[in-house]
Amino acid sequence: MRPFAYERAGDLVSAVTAATIEADSQIRAPIQFLAGGTTLLDLMKIDVMRPERLIDINPLEKSLSEISFDRSGLRLGALARMSAVAHHPDVEREYPVISQALKLGASAQLRNMATLGGNVLQRTRCPYFRDVSWHACNKRDPGSGCSARQGLNRNHAVLGTSDHCIAAYPGDFAQALIALDATVSIAGSKGDRRIPFSDLHRLPADTPHIETTLSPGELITEFHFPARPWARRSLYLKVRDRESYEFAVASAVVALDLADGVVRDIRIALGGVATVPWRSLAAEDALRGKPLDESRAGMAAEAAFATAKTFGGNDFKPELGRATLVRALLAVAMLEVRS
Amino acid sequence: MNVSARAEGGMIGRPTPRIDGRLKVTGAARYPSDVILEDTAYAFLVMSTIARGRIKEFDLTEAQAVDGVLDILTYENTKGKVRKSRYFMRGGYAASSVVPLESPKIWHDGQIVAMVVAETYEAAREAAYKVRVESSAREAAPGFDERRPQPRQTPHIFAGSEPQVGDAETAFQDSDVQIDAYYTTPTQHHNAIELYTTTCVWSGDQLTVHEPSQYVHGLKNGLAKQLGIKPEKVRAVSPFIGGAFGAKAALTSRTALVAIAAKRLNRPVKLVATRQQGFTVSTYRAETQHHIKLGADRSGRLMSLSHEGWEVSSRSDDYKVAGTETTALLYACPNVFTRVNIVHADRSTPGFMRSPAEVPYVFALESAMDELAAALSMDPVELRRINDTRVSPIDQKPFSSRSLRTCYDRAAEAFGWSKRNPVPGSMQDGEWLVGWGCATACYPTNVAPAEARVTLAPNGTARVQTAGHDLGTGAYTAIALTAAEFLGVSLESINVELGDSTLPPAPVAGGSNATASICNAVAQACEDIRDRLARAAVQSGGALRGADATSIRLSRGALVSADGRSEELKESLSRLGFGPIEGFSKYVPEVASLPIRIMGHTLLSRGLPVMTIGTSAGDHVQYAFGAEFVEVRVHERTREIRVPRLVGAFAAGRIVSPTTARSQLLGALIWGVASALHEETEIDERVTRYVNKDLADYMIPVNADIRDVEVILVPEEDHKVNALGIKGLGELGNVGTNAAIANAVYHATGRRIRDLPIRIEDLL
Amino acid sequence: MDTYSPLKTPSLSQRNGSMTAVNLVLSVNGRDYRLTLDARVTLLDALREQLSLTGTKKGCDQGQCGACTVHVDGRRILSCLTLAASVEGKAITTIEGLADEGGLHPMQQAFMDHDAFQCGYCTPGQIMSAVACVTEGLAETDDDIREYMSGNLCRCAAYPNIVAAIKQARIDMQRGRS
Repeated sequence: MRPFAYERAGDLVSAVTAATIEADSQIRAPIQFLAGGTTLLDLMKIDVMRPERLIDINPLEKSLSEISFDRSGLRLGALARMSAVAHHPDVEREYPVISQALKLGASAQLRNMATLGGNVLQRTRCPYFRDVSWHACNKRDPGSGCSARQGLNRNHAVLGTSDHCIAAYPGDFAQALIALDATVSIAGSKGDRRIPFSDLHRLPADTPHIETTLSPGELITEFHFPARPWARRSLYLKVRDRESYEFAVASAVVALDLADGVVRDIRIALGGVATVPWRSLAAEDALRGKPLDESRAGMAAEAAFATAKTFGGNDFKPELGRATLVRALLAVAMLEVRS
Repeated sequence: MNVSARAEGGMIGRPTPRIDGRLKVTGAARYPSDVILEDTAYAFLVMSTIARGRIKEFDLTEAQAVDGVLDILTYENTKGKVRKSRYFMRGGYAASSVVPLESPKIWHDGQIVAMVVAETYEAAREAAYKVRVESSAREAAPGFDERRPQPRQTPHIFAGSEPQVGDAETAFQDSDVQIDAYYTTPTQHHNAIELYTTTCVWSGDQLTVHEPSQYVHGLKNGLAKQLGIKPEKVRAVSPFIGGAFGAKAALTSRTALVAIAAKRLNRPVKLVATRQQGFTVSTYRAETQHHIKLGADRSGRLMSLSHEGWEVSSRSDDYKVAGTETTALLYACPNVFTRVNIVHADRSTPGFMRSPAEVPYVFALESAMDELAAALSMDPVELRRINDTRVSPIDQKPFSSRSLRTCYDRAAEAFGWSKRNPVPGSMQDGEWLVGWGCATACYPTNVAPAEARVTLAPNGTARVQTAGHDLGTGAYTAIALTAAEFLGVSLESINVELGDSTLPPAPVAGGSNATASICNAVAQACEDIRDRLARAAVQSGGALRGADATSIRLSRGALVSADGRSEELKESLSRLGFGPIEGFSKYVPEVASLPIRIMGHTLLSRGLPVMTIGTSAGDHVQYAFGAEFVEVRVHERTREIRVPRLVGAFAAGRIVSPTTARSQLLGALIWGVASALHEETEIDERVTRYVNKDLADYMIPVNADIRDVEVILVPEEDHKVNALGIKGLGELGNVGTNAAIANAVYHATGRRIRDLPIRIEDLL
Repeated sequence: MDTYSPLKTPSLSQRNGSMTAVNLVLSVNGRDYRLTLDARVTLLDALREQLSLTGTKKGCDQGQCGACTVHVDGRRILSCLTLAASVEGKAITTIEGLADEGGLHPMQQAFMDHDAFQCGYCTPGQIMSAVACVTEGLAETDDDIREYMSGNLCRCAAYPNIVAAIKQARIDMQRGRS
């Protein structure tokens, strides 16, 4: 860990003002916000991140961790801890998929620490990214190459990859955000803004080191989930090698508005298989207006992975991803949902 | 001397909470990593990032500029300071022949190339990150070249490790039913939760080293040798060990460097290697390949067994586990061929990991046995029954005891095996395919020389001292139970001291020998006390005057004769002088060979490996056995594999401490799950480097992976193995589990997976 | 307030160069400790190396094993991924402060009764996690216990005994509260 100056944020405005600095992307900026610390301190210890100044935003927790539900939908403060949201009765009842995605992530201790804002910004688990002794990593060192493409890549992405990076986005909660049409409120020294969650993450393309559309100094303050008919009939299915405390090998979010066995509307997102939180419009289109049965589910799964590209170690992922989605679709259709 | 005849206390075999439990649940147990000394400087390692080549140049400018940096050890300023200690398999102490910081030569990825010492851990780490090493890399060999290996890749001679009898090839050709298959097991790392830490402190020319160790006498003597000082100038302390599993047995290259740094700075130096560095700081279980050929007649009787193994070792050393010693004598078979090959690669030297030989080799054989059962349409339990034997098929030596059949009977009944539909894929529960499988567990009964000192005080309290180790095995408790039994006092009155090289030498806590070796030594030391007290008592004018001294036993703080007379311990003791009485023993295994009888205690005091192994125990062979049954569930769509149920029945002679023995076997069964489904160290073969070097990517089971685990202790008496009739069991339980799971996966899915670990992608 | 003098007093503030020192007061097991630390020091290292509270263990130092679990304001967290500076003013409880001096918490007793450990190195973290698991109300079923204790790796694999211990302690803890 490199030396850094540590300070505590007094208020939101001064925090974002203090953190605003010239840099090619937010995560590479020399000033970083410290919230739960579960990603940042981890990466600082292994020398992947080297900020010079940390602004501890935990003092802002009171004002930025509200959980509120009303007719317009669900608001989650970005400093709310994963555990608080996961076990919140409104969330469990109205947006089961959010609760499930949070509960199936990390461990109880980490969920007590990690904030929602930090959670969606967690970095990839690509081992070549996480170990600075590997010279080639475009995400860590732009232009240096990619060690994973021809290396060990069982856990790497098959969707949204580029010649420059195939690192998988590791999170669970983000799949719920992108599926449920969530929006993100962002504070910055140049003013506040609100964007669709789907605009937050950037595909790696030829700039995998720039992971989000956040500018240096910008801070996520809130997530908003609209009220929609498919929210209650929703679930998160996470497939992994061990039963708990592991990142997804493949996962699926499905939110379904079902009427008389026919799909009125549906939201599908896929985890563990893509470079960014991944909504599958193709799979949704394959099902909208159709009856949901085994064969339709299989067609949707085919559509979801039609553009998949594999790299050896992850050759099995499209097949597993399809099986995961089919299983999730059939399970969500069977859910008992009270109106 | 038959010490078992003296046992009257009913303590051995009594279930009891472990006596060191309170220290462990309150955080008061001081592990070597917990030693905090005044004025400590902190060390941080710098590792090579190439697998083969030479260091061309160090640039230490940036590192030295870090505030608080005190010293940076590299070969340039340290070569010649560490003397060579021979590799432990060649009669030395070291985990590898490579001398630390000896030269610019790089033998493997993750080799220690520098060690930074600084005022704080934070500064040492920062400076280590700023050490620049320029090296020239050569092409490195990661391991096996081919998926299916070529026979005999090295001419190395394995005396006694390649048992053979009859003509296996002809018998195989003539067999009615044949199995011919290859199996592989992956690289695995111990990953004990306590990290590889070392704290060294000098007081004048006296060095104390605090390091988690399975062999403090080996550590002391080996380190003295490396530093060129007398062994008595080194003290190794490790009263608790946060998991070892074989990784903390041999001397690793870090220790001498910390000692040298502490000397140079004249202050304590503490090293905490990171979890990632731990993958090459100590040893590992190397990957193996196996070619098995089984031939049987239609009734299932084995006619031919051929087992050829391939193992990876380093360039510098010929490490091998050669598990055919075990697989050759597991079943009756007139024709046996075995062979073991070493493939040298640019890797660090492998080493012992829990059940080193049996985990990979028995996986191959027990998988093949299941394949044979399937080919014969025979129940796999029945196949084991038909081929059970009372003697080694190689030389007809009898097993000292062998309760394999009873184990199968007990475990099968507890598991409900009779309800199994043998057709693969026939059992399903909702969305989950269900499979049941079984396999044999076995482990040689190894025993070593050991010394113990027992001090009995007039108030009935006793102190037991031996440089043994409690790795979590329950050694403290088993030793206390033994002493309480033979001294006739309560468990609470026994104080056991372990893990310090100033104590009487005890063997390495490895090969599951410790309970047998040390408890026999302790029993003998207690007998020494009893004998002296009794002889003085019968010659005295006291209550026991004229009694038969040999019949007198210690019971409830008194000496009691066979005819019912008794005398208070206090009185007996006062006859022999003032205060406590000390008993001492140098236990030599009853089954030891002549060289061990003569040289055993000399070697032991020098911290060298000395052990009588189960296959060379005089006129018999001695093994513990078990039978394991597992249920696996495989999701019909997404193919996750879960193990909701395990049942193991084990017979391991006399069980000294049933509570901790049960925990050992329970943990071992779960180790078997890990080895079948979770664990694998992945190597990037382009550069021969490990990739998944942490506990998120190197998977071991979590609590949610484990549900019902049942351990059955099958009573077994064996008077041949040693006086107390103890067989080891710490390594018994995780032998065969991986095969049982693979066999159950076959039963669930019809897919025979011969390469571990079995993962989702293998079943899609 | 007790003023605690660390065994060694690195005079960080007097040094030049890049290191940044922070002055802080840590409240651990009901006692306040005034410390001057490198800002990089984690709560785990502060507890172990500065305060000699070595019951809290370092097993991975990166949030993957749970051995360093402590309570901060009553919640279980990982002290290896927590900067000491960031928990100033919060109530920190470690294994050494779980029970009254000389006594045992019901969870500690239950771990002994069920032999819920072997080497014992992960045990303080298991126990701190288990106590929180009960108080969070997440230990009502065996499945819940297994799931919500999965952040604490036990390489000796005492898991079934850990589950049994928690079930016993849950009853004792609930009885103690009522």
